[in-house]
Amino acid sequence: MKQKIGLGVGLAAILVWCLLPVAWIISLSFKSQDAVSNGSEGFLPQPGGGAGWQNYSDVIGDDQFRRAILNSIGISLIATLLSVVIATLAAYAIARLEFRGKRFVLTTALVIAMFPVVSLVGPLFDMWRTIGIYDTWLGLIIPYMSFTLPLAIWTLSAFFREIPWEMEQAAQVDGATSWQAFRKVIVPLAAPGVFTAAILTFFFAWNDFVFGISLTSTETARPIPAALSFFVGPDPFSRPASLLAAGAVVATIPIVIIVLLFQRKIVAGLTSGAVKG
Amino acid sequence: MTTSTVQTATAKKPRSTPKAPDSDRARAENSLGRKLVAPAIVLMLVVTAFPMIRALYLSLFDYSLTDPDERSFVGLQNYVTALTDSLFWRDTANTVMIMLVTVAVELVIGFAFAMVMHRVIFARGVIRTSILIPYGIITVVSGFAWQFAFSSDNGFVNGWLPFLDDTFDWFGAYDSSIVAIMVSEIWKTTPFMSLLLLAGLAQVSEDMIEAAKVDGATWFQRLFKVILPNMRAAIMVAVLFRALDAYRIFDNIYVMTAGANGTESISFLTYRQVIEQFQLGIGSALSVLLFLSVLVVAYLIVKIFRVDLASARQEG
Amino acid sequence: MDARRPLRSRRRRASAGLVSLACASALLAGCSGDGDGRSTLNWYINPDGQATLAKIAEECSTDDYKIEIQLLPTSATDQRTQLARRLAAKDSSTNLMSLDPVFVPEFANAGWLAPFEGDLADEVVDDDVLAGAAETVSWEDEVVAAPQWANTQVLWFRKSLAEAAGLDMSKPVTWDQVIEAADAEGGKVGVQADRYEAYVVWINAMIQGAGGTIVEKTEAGRDAEVTIDSDAGEAAAAVIKKLVDSDATIPGLSTSNEGSSLGVMYPDEGPGEFMTNWTFVYKNYESTVGKPGGPPDEEALKDLGWARYPQTVEGEESKPPIGGIDIGVGAFTPDIDAAQEAAVCITSPEAQTQLAVTDGLMPSRGSVYDSPELQEAYPPDLLELYRDSIDSGGPRPKSAYYSQISSAVQSVWHSPTGVDPDSTPQESADFLRAVLDGKALL
Repeated sequence: MKQKIGLGVGLAAILVWCLLPVAWIISLSFKSQDAVSNGSEGFLPQPGGGAGWQNYSDVIGDDQFRRAILNSIGISLIATLLSVVIATLAAYAIARLEFRGKRFVLTTALVIAMFPVVSLVGPLFDMWRTIGIYDTWLGLIIPYMSFTLPLAIWTLSAFFREIPWEMEQAAQVDGATSWQAFRKVIVPLAAPGVFTAAILTFFFAWNDFVFGISLTSTETARPIPAALSFFVGPDPFSRPASLLAAGAVVATIPIVIIVLLFQRKIVAGLTSGAVKG
Repeated sequence: MTTSTVQTATAKKPRSTPKAPDSDRARAENSLGRKLVAPAIVLMLVVTAFPMIRALYLSLFDYSLTDPDERSFVGLQNYVTALTDSLFWRDTANTVMIMLVTVAVELVIGFAFAMVMHRVIFARGVIRTSILIPYGIITVVSGFAWQFAFSSDNGFVNGWLPFLDDTFDWFGAYDSSIVAIMVSEIWKTTPFMSLLLLAGLAQVSEDMIEAAKVDGATWFQRLFKVILPNMRAAIMVAVLFRALDAYRIFDNIYVMTAGANGTESISFLTYRQVIEQFQLGIGSALSVLLFLSVLVVAYLIVKIFRVDLASARQEG
Repeated sequence: MDARRPLRSRRRRASAGLVSLACASALLAGCSGDGDGRSTLNWYINPDGQATLAKIAEECSTDDYKIEIQLLPTSATDQRTQLARRLAAKDSSTNLMSLDPVFVPEFANAGWLAPFEGDLADEVVDDDVLAGAAETVSWEDEVVAAPQWANTQVLWFRKSLAEAAGLDMSKPVTWDQVIEAADAEGGKVGVQADRYEAYVVWINAMIQGAGGTIVEKTEAGRDAEVTIDSDAGEAAAAVIKKLVDSDATIPGLSTSNEGSSLGVMYPDEGPGEFMTNWTFVYKNYESTVGKPGGPPDEEALKDLGWARYPQTVEGEESKPPIGGIDIGVGAFTPDIDAAQEAAVCITSPEAQTQLAVTDGLMPSRGSVYDSPELQEAYPPDLLELYRDSIDSGGPRPKSAYYSQISSAVQSVWHSPTGVDPDSTPQESADFLRAVLDGKALL
């Protein structure tokens, strides 16, 4: 019984910890801009200081913000797709084949996972402006791919090692063509891993800030985090807190949806690489 | 960011093809393997190794993007300037402090969370969902949320903390600003830590804990003699990746204080030199130093924990 | 930098959304023209007066080219960073840009601005352009940008406060007098002393008012001569110290910006303040009568007075700060002639009139102040004060390393509470020297 109470308290603590700041930013997004610029303390909007959906319609109506959402979605999806394809090839090789240089691949991936990205933005900026992909989608997609590859390769190779590849042969013995064997046996087994890698890659790309502010300069390619940090409000002397909060909530919605749909897979992916090594 | 880790001895040997490979086959496999990993390797190196080499080269020049004609070779002068500058050391100290404090706090809270999640048999989906939200949320958003929470105009923290005056300005001085930054960092990354630790906890055999219980070990003894030593690998992974992540802290600081009151990190300093001041020479030198310091931190952590790992094995 | 922050209304922001929408769709199409064979000139603007600028852009488009608005971030530092990165990348689609005057030398020195030559140069900077504004667009004997609007600071005050203190505001006043008057009557002195550009604006204006400068021979780039450690530097530091030691400081002095002291003019209790601030202040109070932070009623608005920027040294003419916007033409623009023609159009007297009347952004041309539209929109003596101040104001150091100079000054002079006339000027001179020599980090 005592243990149960302890668990209940612990559970409540976790929920408060995780959700309170989220509730706070949602609450802030409903404070009116006037209330915020005149000071509106407290967790909930004060009476008369609420804004209804005004902040949201302002944010959605802001063209720079819409553009940034579009950029973020486009860039993150493309980077995720390409990164997962390339990582799948590499992870397959690592899990299934003997070849010289395997250690090199794994070490490279590890080093890159630790790389301080800020130390790259200077030279990358210099390179990108020389070859003309500065402030373009491509200019962000490439570094996103490079920095999500280690994660994707590690996660995928951990998954692939678990796949009983013998079943492929077994299916072929049973009369299936190799394509059928691959599609009916291997693909269903590998799909969850690929999928998990894709989600984690997408999170990284969606979250990135350093590349987002350094390698863009207009709304052509500026992603959401950078756009939020440049957000222009009606009061030039202070940050438009409630508008920003609304923008932040909008930018978080895709993450929440993904989490709600795929929480089990994400946890599996996050821990698989670490534990199974 | 990533959760994967060094290939440890426990890794399963990659399955080779079932039939004994003849040398032709081995050669084909070798070549296929290389072809499959080639795109990944090229991509990873294009955006890291090549720029790093370029940074090394540029760091030897006095080179400002806004005064390109005056570019001149200065040898190691930029490194001397950086390493003898109090700003560099202040920011390094800041960064190390942030890293030590956040990782220590996260380890404790994350472990507590992991224990709860490990034992809880109900509402697992709810917990999993809520714990993933801080993990998935954009760091910039976390920075904003906490900045506004600590604000004396629009926040709630001052109102909730009884010992604080309502007008207390968290961002008015170093101590309170850095606390605010660390709170934001800890909030966002503790869930990640707890998930890694949870996975480690799952590896600890229940039988051993039960056996210790039967032998009359107290809760603390069980924790420190059985549970923790048996999840060292998971702890090491968690600490290594979180520490390196914390050492690169940038987004929160950019959003919350922009480095005011001396709250700059080493990443922020580098960013300012390169991207705001366009001082490619000294900025590149700082980039190189930042990279080297990350390697040192990684080396130290691996070194420290490896010693522990070995001794743990001897005990076991 | 944060030197020209006029009031922006929500209404204006809403219409600006539509403007940038038009551009976004153009961007999607590659922004290289719009079907009917016209080429596109991109004009990077800061968010001040967006709607009017969009209208001007449309009016200045011709059969040959269409001017498209591109919006830059709010903070002047971010604006500079964004533009400089594009230009460093030799971007041919950065055609026209709204530049804060302090960035003009840096951009010109880097070869990013196409100079106006021959007759065009004479047209862009003729006798009508006020001296303070004209000064900002010249670099190494070339006209590198076209002045669009100009900003300056004046001394805003409550007439009742000055009267109670017995200060005759019809004559030039000094900083000492202003601080003493406010202190004696329980009033405040509003300044900008956060660690940012406007703090340098204040310091620079006071040093120039005492006949000094922060740096000399700025054309020499890194080899400029550091002159802040002088009697003038000490005089400026003494004013800051006097203010800090008095009871006239506004709360949160060390994080104060242009908005911080606006509300102090009309407090719930107390006599109000003296405040040095930009020209937007007038329109701000005019539009906030009866609202929080504004004058309670029309009567109170009539109590708002204005005078020339205070003197640092009694008897020596003050040097009011100069801000505003210059229009630069990107050096990598394919058709520079067309872009310069467009630059002349968007800085024309008609364009300047529109900006002044609708957005409170004051003209850089003297004749525009006489236009009936402006005479109707502003009190004549205020217009005269603005024009005089811009004509005789003092620019901040014109150096390709201005942003380093500015940051170095901020780093030593902030926080204002630590300023000491005996040590601060010398310390900042040493640090500035080290920064320019590349021997210290900023």
